[in-house]
Amino acid sequence: MVKVQERRHLVLIGNGMAGINTVEQILKLAPSTYRITVFGSEPYPNYNRIQLSYVLEKSKAVEDIILNDWNWYLENEIELYTGTTVTHIDTEQKIVKADNGIEVPYDALIIATGSNPFLLPVPGADKEGIVGFRDIADCQNMLHAADQYKKAAVIGGGLLGLEAAKGLLKLGMDVTVVHLFEEIMERQLDHTASLMLQAELESQGLKFATGKQTEEFLGDERVSGIRFSDGTTLDAEFVVMAVGIRPNILLAKESGIAVNRGILVDDYMRTSAPDVYAVGECNEHRGTTYGLVAPLFEQGAVLAKYLCGVETKPYEGSVVSTQLKISGVDVFSAGEFMDAEGLSVVRMHDDWLRIYKKVLLRGGRIVGGVLIGDGKESSRLQQWIRTGTVMTEAIHNAIVGQSAVETGNTAAELADEEIVCGCNGVTKKHIVDAINEKGLTTVEEIKVATSASRSCGGCRPVVEQILQYVLGDKYDSAAAKQEAICSCTTLSRDEVVTAIKEKGLITSKEVRYALEWDNPEGCSKCRPALNYYLGMIWPAEHVDEKDSRFVNERMHANIQKDGTFGVVPRMYGGVTTPDDLRLIADIAVKYNVKLVKVTGGQRLDLLGVKKEDLPKIWKDLGMPSGYAYAKALRTVKTCVGSQFCRFGTKDSMGMGILLEKKFERLDMPAKFKLAVNGCPRNCAESSTKDIGIVGNEGAWEIYVGGNGGIKARLAELLCKVRTDEELLEIVSAFMQYYRETGKYLERTSDWIERMGLESVTEAIVNDLDNRRALAERMEVALAQVKEPWSEILNNSNLRERMFEEISVSTKQD
Amino acid sequence: MEPILNKDEYTFYLIGNVDDFTERLGRVVRLGKEEIAVFKTTDEQIYALENKSPGPRGGTIAEGIISGEVLFDPICDWKISLKDGQVLDPDTGQVRTYPVHVHGNEVRVGLVKNEGGRFHE
Repeated sequence: MVKVQERRHLVLIGNGMAGINTVEQILKLAPSTYRITVFGSEPYPNYNRIQLSYVLEKSKAVEDIILNDWNWYLENEIELYTGTTVTHIDTEQKIVKADNGIEVPYDALIIATGSNPFLLPVPGADKEGIVGFRDIADCQNMLHAADQYKKAAVIGGGLLGLEAAKGLLKLGMDVTVVHLFEEIMERQLDHTASLMLQAELESQGLKFATGKQTEEFLGDERVSGIRFSDGTTLDAEFVVMAVGIRPNILLAKESGIAVNRGILVDDYMRTSAPDVYAVGECNEHRGTTYGLVAPLFEQGAVLAKYLCGVETKPYEGSVVSTQLKISGVDVFSAGEFMDAEGLSVVRMHDDWLRIYKKVLLRGGRIVGGVLIGDGKESSRLQQWIRTGTVMTEAIHNAIVGQSAVETGNTAAELADEEIVCGCNGVTKKHIVDAINEKGLTTVEEIKVATSASRSCGGCRPVVEQILQYVLGDKYDSAAAKQEAICSCTTLSRDEVVTAIKEKGLITSKEVRYALEWDNPEGCSKCRPALNYYLGMIWPAEHVDEKDSRFVNERMHANIQKDGTFGVVPRMYGGVTTPDDLRLIADIAVKYNVKLVKVTGGQRLDLLGVKKEDLPKIWKDLGMPSGYAYAKALRTVKTCVGSQFCRFGTKDSMGMGILLEKKFERLDMPAKFKLAVNGCPRNCAESSTKDIGIVGNEGAWEIYVGGNGGIKARLAELLCKVRTDEELLEIVSAFMQYYRETGKYLERTSDWIERMGLESVTEAIVNDLDNRRALAERMEVALAQVKEPWSEILNNSNLRERMFEEISVSTKQD
Repeated sequence: MEPILNKDEYTFYLIGNVDDFTERLGRVVRLGKEEIAVFKTTDEQIYALENKSPGPRGGTIAEGIISGEVLFDPICDWKISLKDGQVLDPDTGQVRTYPVHVHGNEVRVGLVKNEGGRFHE
C-alpha cells in the first residue's frame, strides 16, 4: 500500500469544470496515486458554469449548480485554496506561487484556468455598468442591475449573449441584443434556423439590433448608451458584453510555457513544460480552442488516463454541439450545419409548428445537424454525428419522421381478423391484444408471446408496424433496432460480440456466465448465435458446440417434416460428371430415397433418407457435403460461360468452381449464395444472390446484397474489377466483413441496408489496407474448416451417438 | 411430475448405459413398437419422451436443442418440459413421457404393463 507521503503531488490551477472533472476521473482510476492541491480564484467550490443562465433567470440558486461541495474535497483529501490566484509557475523548480504568498511544489501540474470574457476594446468600455458574463460574480452583478435599472443591452447574439439576454428579460428588463452580423448564432445556425430563432425570441419580448458594430459606449461614469458605426445609437443603462471568450493564458505565458491563442498542448494535453498539462478552454489543441463543455470532458478523460498510466487513445479533437439553455426554446446544433458541396441534406421545415430540422450527410454518414423547436432527438443526433453513423430509414424516421400513419404505416387499415403471420396463423387482433394485455414493447417479445414472425420472419415488418401503431409515441425504433439477441439477456449482438472480444470469452457457457444470462443454458435462439460469434471471433480456439447447432447443421442434412432427411452432395459450380451422376443414381436406388430433386442452386437433393442411413449414404457417395442446410456458402450458381456459350465473355464455370472450393464450409451469419455469369445476360441470376458476379469484356462486375427469398431484393453494384485476383480479394473481404459485423441469421440483404452500401464499399473497396486485413482474417478462418461428412465417418463414437438408434426388444415379456 | 401410475404398473427395460447418451443431444430408442427420444441434461438427468413433435406439423423431437430441463422442438421451436412433457408458454400441448430409472450406469425406461395390450407383444 502506498503511504500518503509517498504519493505524487498533483497541483491543479483552476477549480472549474475542466480541472475538477479531470481530478474526479483520476480519483476513479487510481485513487491513491496522487495527493492533490487545487487553486481557485473564485470563492466557491466547483460549480457548473454552463448553468449560470439558470441562476440569472432565477430558476436555480447558486447552491443548485454546485457540482462538488466542500465535503467532496474533504472526503478526497484534496487541499483546496479558494479565492486564491496562482501568479507564477516555476517550471524548473516545479513550484507554483500564489497571490497570497503560498508556494506549493508539484510533481504534476494541471493548468485549467478556463477563459475570460472578451471585452470590446472600444472607447468607454471601462465605464460602470458594463460587465461580462462568465462567473457567479458577473451573474450577481446582473441580478443587482436588474433591481435598479430598466434598459439593458447585450452585445453578442451568440449562445452566451442570448442566454444572458433572456435572463435579463426574465428579470424584468427591457433588453436589446446587439449583434455584429445580420444573423444571430451564425456560427451554429443556418439562415433559416437563425431567422426562426430570432422570431421566436422576439415573440418572447427580446429586441434585436443586428448588423450593428459597436463603436463607443456613451455616458459619464456610468454607461448610458451605445453608438454604432452607422451613426445610430441605443440607450442602455446596463451592458453585458458577450461577444466571445478568450483562453486564459496569462499565467502560462508569463511562466514561459508555449502559448498561441491558447496554451499549446499535444494529444495528451502536455504543454511545452515537463509535467505541466493544460485542459479545457485555456488550451489550444491542433489549432483549435474550445468554448463548450463536451471537449473538456473528452480532454479530461485522456489526461486522467495518461496521468494514471492507463492506456488511452490520443485526444483528436471534439465534435462540438450547441444547445441553447433558454427555457421554452429548443435550439440544437452540432457538427457541420451549413449546406455545402458534397453534403446531402435531410431537411424538414414546418412554419406552422415552428419546427426546423436539418441533418447533413457526407457519403451517407451523419456529419452535422440543426434542430429548432423540437430537440427531442438532440442527444441521439449528437451521438450519431460523433460516431459518423450511416443514415438509415429508422434514423431518418426518428429525426424528421412524421407520425406513424403518415410514414406509410398501414397497420391501422388491417382488419382485426386478417392473418399477419401466415406461417403460424396469427391474426392482427391476436398481436394487438398481446401487446395491450402483456405490455409488450419489442417484436422479439411479440414473437415469444404469439409466435408471429417466429418461423420465416417475412411478416416481421408488419408486426413492427402493428407494434408502432399500438404503442404510438412510446415506440422506440432505435431500441427496437438494438434489441437483445434473445430473451435470455438484454444485451444486443454488438454488446455481446464486444464483450466476447474484450473479456476473451471462448465458450458459450463462459459468455452466458460472464454476461449474466437469465437462462444459464441459453435458448434455441442465443445458443446457435453464440456458437457462431465465438467461432467467428476465435476461429482457431473455439470448439464448435454441436449441442448448440440447429438439427440441420448438427446432422449435416436437411430435416424434413416427417423426420427424414435430405442429402445434397457438393456439385461445384453446378458441374458434375457422368460417373458422379451414375453414382448418385445408384445410391438413390440403394437407399430407396423417396425423391430426387434438382435444387434451385443447381444440385441434386436426395429426399426421404432415414437418419441412421445418413452416414452410410455419405460413405457410399464419397462426395463432400453440399451444405444445403448450413448458415454457410450454399452454392455458386453459374452459367455455361465462355467455355461453351456463344455469348460468354468470361469463364464463369471456372470462376464459380474456384470460388465455391475456396469458401465452402465456412460458417456465416446466415445462408450465403453466389452466382457467376459469363456475360450480362445473367443466366445464373446474379441479381438475387448475396454476391452476384457478372463477367464483361475485360472486367468483372460485383453485385451484393441480393435475395430471392422471404424479402426479395435486387443486388446492388459494389464495384468493377479487372483481374481475377482482385475479384477473389474483394469477395473474400466482403464475406469476412459480413461475418464480422452481421447479426446471426441476418441475410446480406438486411445487413447491407443496415450498414449502408456506401460504408461497405468504403470498408472493402476503397480502404485497401482494411480489405487486405479482412482477406487475411478470412484465410485464418478458412484454415479451420473441415469436411463434416468425412469427419463424422471417421469418428465412430460421434457417428454412433448422433445417428444410430438404440433398439430394444420387448418380446421376452 | 411422476406419472400417476404406480411403479408396479410399469415394466422397465434396459436401454443402455448412461455413457451411451451425450449431454444435450437426443438419441432415439426403439423400445418394442415405441419410438422414444432419450435426453441427458447437463446435470446428467436422463429423460425419455415419445419421439413425436406436439406441433401441428408433426415430426420428431430427438433432434431438438436442450437447455436445462427444456427441449426446443426442432420443427416448430416450441418449448417442451423434459420432466413432464408439458409444452410451455406461449404454446400448449403435451408430449408423452416415460419413467426412467438409473441404477449405477444402467438406464431403464418403463412401459405401462397393461394399456389395452398396446405395450405387450
